[in-house]
Amino acid sequence: MVEFTLPKNSKVTKGKSWNPPAKDAEPDRWREYRLYRYDPDTGENPRVDTYWVDMNDCGPMVLDALIWIKNNIDATLTFRRSCREGVCGSCSMNVAGTNTLACTMHADDAKGAIAVYPLPHMPVVKDLVPDMTQFYAQHRAIEPWLKTDSPTPQKEWRQSREDREKLDGLYECILCACCSTACPSYWWNGDRYLGLAVLLQADRWIEDSHDERTGERLDDLEDPFRLYRCHTILNCTKACPKGLEPASAIASLKRKMVERV
Amino acid sequence: MSNKLEAERPLSPHLQIYRPMLTMMMSIAHRISGASLAVGFALLTWWLVAISMGPEAYACVAGFFGSLIGRALLFAFTWALIHHMLGGIRHLIWDTGAGLDRTSIEVFAWATIIGSIILTILIWVVDYTIMGAS
Repeated sequence: MVEFTLPKNSKVTKGKSWNPPAKDAEPDRWREYRLYRYDPDTGENPRVDTYWVDMNDCGPMVLDALIWIKNNIDATLTFRRSCREGVCGSCSMNVAGTNTLACTMHADDAKGAIAVYPLPHMPVVKDLVPDMTQFYAQHRAIEPWLKTDSPTPQKEWRQSREDREKLDGLYECILCACCSTACPSYWWNGDRYLGLAVLLQADRWIEDSHDERTGERLDDLEDPFRLYRCHTILNCTKACPKGLEPASAIASLKRKMVERV
Repeated sequence: MSNKLEAERPLSPHLQIYRPMLTMMMSIAHRISGASLAVGFALLTWWLVAISMGPEAYACVAGFFGSLIGRALLFAFTWALIHHMLGGIRHLIWDTGAGLDRTSIEVFAWATIIGSIILTILIWVVDYTIMGAS
């Protein structure tokens, strides 16, 4: 359902300033970060706290700053991160108003104070950690594994160079959910619309020349909500930190639906 | 226990914090222009009904459309129509699977804005000069 405002328990309040730099501090040395904080143990509404990061002592990426804050100012700050090089998809969050990976976003690409929120329109577990249960369940629902009827070959499933190239732009997806949670259609209808990342994965298996259940897979998507809630708003393509085009995957799925009729 | 926790979990901010971008604005503009076409066609219907009702009713409607407010409304209607039409063409191109890369979506957005403004002005210029509207 379309609901433009946040529920009562989700309204963001003003938090505190942790370490405002001294008035005579070196200019440009301290970078201001405004972080969304939510502590499930207190039962208080979420708030936005302000921290200043010493750029003489901190790496260039947004994730470096978050780790710096956790190490130096506030150890209770909670966020997911792992690879710190854009291949694991753990540190996806909303930075400076757009979904991205904190580890591959250079702090200098944002102007002024950098606002960091969890992925939009998600239940928040703590601070910058959203509950991804529904997202993973939707991924499970498209059965993202090879399905075949032919007997398993003795050596390997062969694939021509051309067929392999059809997976370019699809296989690189790391399921960080930046695209899905950037989409207003997913915000309003996330319970029934599968969302960008999952549809891109669906297209990845439908495009795969190894897979022999293309028809069945398309049948499962033939639904006013699962596939057809895309309105080409294109926040997905703008957000994807891997440079993929989820909207193209949806166009490709819609085209295959028409072609098979 | 886990269900109770989930029910209490706050929803992260969405519209409140997402940075407005040209492509999403064009999507909203497409919807607004589409909705305003309904208003425009109500005006057109009013005009057609007036024609069928005779010279007096027509004079009243023509007087309104000739006024400054009437003309401004018609100009806005023309722009909404052209903007929505170009947006529709954009969607048709997207339906073929083309034009969805990062560069094209920006080019399409600007082409729709600039194209709709130029075409709207062109229609009115033609209307006033060649068709002789006054």
